[in-house]
Amino acid sequence: MSLELQALLLVWGMLVGLDLVSVPQMMIARPLVAGAVAGAMLGDIPTGLKLGVVFELFQHDILPMGAVRYPEYGPATVAAVSAAHMVGGALGLGLGVAVGLVTGMIGGTSIHLMRRLNARAVRRAAAVLETGDIRTLVRLHVQSILRDALRAGLVTAFGLALAVELNALRLGHILAREGFALAAVATGAGLAVAAAGTLRLVRRPTLAWFAAGLLGGAAEVWLR
Amino acid sequence: MRVPLIRTLLRLFTVQGSWNYERMLGVGFGVAEEPLLRDLAGARSREAGSAYRGAVARGAHFFNAHPYLCGLAVGATARAEHDGVLPAQIERLRTALCGPLGSLGDTLVWAGWLPFTSGVALAAVALGFGWWAVVGFLVVYNAGHIALRCWALRAGWAHGMNVATALRHPALQRSGAVVAPAMALAMGAALPLVAGYLGGPFTPSLRLAFAVAVGSGILLLRWRWLRLTGVRLGLTFVALGLVAGWLWR
Repeated sequence: MSLELQALLLVWGMLVGLDLVSVPQMMIARPLVAGAVAGAMLGDIPTGLKLGVVFELFQHDILPMGAVRYPEYGPATVAAVSAAHMVGGALGLGLGVAVGLVTGMIGGTSIHLMRRLNARAVRRAAAVLETGDIRTLVRLHVQSILRDALRAGLVTAFGLALAVELNALRLGHILAREGFALAAVATGAGLAVAAAGTLRLVRRPTLAWFAAGLLGGAAEVWLR
Repeated sequence: MRVPLIRTLLRLFTVQGSWNYERMLGVGFGVAEEPLLRDLAGARSREAGSAYRGAVARGAHFFNAHPYLCGLAVGATARAEHDGVLPAQIERLRTALCGPLGSLGDTLVWAGWLPFTSGVALAAVALGFGWWAVVGFLVVYNAGHIALRCWALRAGWAHGMNVATALRHPALQRSGAVVAPAMALAMGAALPLVAGYLGGPFTPSLRLAFAVAVGSGILLLRWRWLRLTGVRLGLTFVALGLVAGWLWR
């Protein structure tokens, strides 16, 4: 993969990371969007969509309420698509999920650290903020957004580097058959996470709607 | 007040940019509210102790709510500052709005609108709509998202200290009643469709492994004693997949 393409993915991962919390929360951070666009950049939309779907399923584990800590699947999906595209096939899909999960965990930790840095900056400026100085307020805000952009860029860079390293190991020759099993259980885990996440949200009055949806979806799959 | 309202609305898209454990949304709140405070005394000279500087300082205090509904509190407190309401009362209003706005937004958006649109998009990808599913998701989700942000700011600015009446708006109540079953239906339909989409290309033995992974994964995640998160389950299954594949050689 060319350096230009890696740089493009890095910029996309950074925008995706910014969108998650900071600016503008238009949901380009959703794995389905992040993965599809990363796939398009690589000229491999099916892989982008497939990994986008898998991480969209993982995303259903998360309810971003209050100060809850959670993995960051946007930049992770970009890195996962890059890994899957380079390795290719079922093994690529499985390794893509592995790269994405590790990157997602690191992304989540980085958000927590960034929030602590933001808190420290606010504490330092507390006295000036109490005087109503708008310049200090705006500077604090902009600095925090830039900090988030840098953080998202670093997380994406880590994921992309991990993908390159895995590809360099030429795992395709070593794990020719394991790749299929890996892909099956990794994607299965995503579906399990989405199902459990949805069951957490579905309350008793809406259970019938959930069952109707399940039946309808299953019928569509069966009739195909 | 049209231009300041637009400025505030645009700044509200960055309201979580400085989220921190000290004041949570406070700094972003203050930045977003500021264009609406420029009519207050002392805004031009920005002299210390003026009404403007006092309002800016209050705006940056602790605040937390759902980011899309934050505009309601921003508009209401800015209106209250213009109406000359006592600072202590404005602080109480902010504090009182945190809980309801957080809970309403979480129910309506994070647990309703977002999983609903995501479920529809997942089902659409599984049915072969490809890119259109992704574009459709972005357009439909953001239509609701932006409408909610606009309504929140305008309602807050219109009602000021009586903002609680805006929260009893019939459209909000109706949305809450519709979005939960719609989400359940969409996610219910998406799950088997996505299972077919992801598991379809596998051989019968791999489909069995896929089904076992799904079933055992749901059970493990529902078993609260384990306190397993999605990412931990995923990594565990990746490791198990590698071991199983190696044994299968």
